[in-house]
Amino acid sequence: MLSSLQNPRQAAAQLLNFGLILSTAFMTWKGLSVIADSPSPIVVVLSGSMEPAFQRGDLLVLWNRNLFSETNVGEVVVYNVKGKDIPIVHRIVRKFGTGPDAKLLTKGDNNAADDTELYARGQDYLTRKDIVGSVVAYIPFVGYVTIMLSEHPWLKTVMLGLMGLMVVMQRE
Amino acid sequence: MAVSQEKVTVYNLADLKTTSDDAIPNYLNSLKFRQSHRLTDVRLALGYSALALAAACFAWDYKLGFESTKHLTAAAVVVYTLLNGALTFWLFYVERGTVYVGTAPSGETLRISTATKKNVPTYHVTVEVQPKNGGKKEVLKISRAFTEWFDGAGHFVAAPFQSMLASAVPVVGKLDPKRAAPQESAMPVPAAYTPEMLDVLAKANASVVGSAAEEATGSETPVPKKGGKKRRA
Repeated sequence: MLSSLQNPRQAAAQLLNFGLILSTAFMTWKGLSVIADSPSPIVVVLSGSMEPAFQRGDLLVLWNRNLFSETNVGEVVVYNVKGKDIPIVHRIVRKFGTGPDAKLLTKGDNNAADDTELYARGQDYLTRKDIVGSVVAYIPFVGYVTIMLSEHPWLKTVMLGLMGLMVVMQRE
Repeated sequence: MAVSQEKVTVYNLADLKTTSDDAIPNYLNSLKFRQSHRLTDVRLALGYSALALAAACFAWDYKLGFESTKHLTAAAVVVYTLLNGALTFWLFYVERGTVYVGTAPSGETLRISTATKKNVPTYHVTVEVQPKNGGKKEVLKISRAFTEWFDGAGHFVAAPFQSMLASAVPVVGKLDPKRAAPQESAMPVPAAYTPEMLDVLAKANASVVGSAAEEATGSETPVPKKGGKKRRA
């Protein structure tokens, strides 16, 4: 009940409950990042360029450590292009050289041409450090929620508001 | 003030419990108990340091990016996990549902914890009494139905609630003999208030409140009557 806000300790405890939900979600995410050594260990597929392997809305789990072998041809990777903030999920189709300076070329399974068009101006290939991670697992369709949320930003506000209200009202 | 102006939904067990929980410190502090907030304060300290750490982690991650801060972030994740673990431990093994810790003017320390079981409208109260000179701890257990101090409309009625505590816990009864059960009867607890008595009490108090706060609560006065009817049906 809202009247409990008159007691500062109880108000602090209620605020804490809400804060801990958010912070635990955030720290879990950061924990996954640290384990996978990737700034974004879970991504959602936004386009159909990797069909039939991945559809729009699939949730991908990434791994960015080369413990046993280098990132090789055939792996599906997520990479960032300088100047663009949307990561892309495509397959490595060519590799020249070895080690961190190997030149990598990617292509979407469902695309007619390779990705040179998608790279930054003057960039003809990727190197290992452009890659955010290799796909090691996926959950179909679950990520569609985030597509909805990013396409209709007001949904985020509504969701956060409802969550906050529920925590304040229920006290549990 | 014996009846709260606020109503709870009588089907909401969490509301029944928290309303009753809140009434315990109110009552005991009015009897000059000195409340100790140590348990809550430790919980808040643990929780808020975890929260501050997560906020700091968010800040440096946002400002400096992932690559340059990942070792710091790894350390933060470990510390956060430890703090959260400590908080969980504190809640389950130290607080154990404690809603009140306080010392009576005579020196005894009470520690009251409450619990409910899912879908059972019974209030389980455990009172640990620690005598003044470090003697053996006495544990009293009370289990009573919420219907004894909530009327049909969901108003909290303080008198029966307080007499439940006063008659079951001698330390409280000594300070509030009016509410304590008559000692000559063999029963350790007084007979429960009947629904009719609750309604009368609620109505009497509601009208007092109503005259004090006029229109604000005036509209609620007929509600207890309706609740009473519903219960009898």
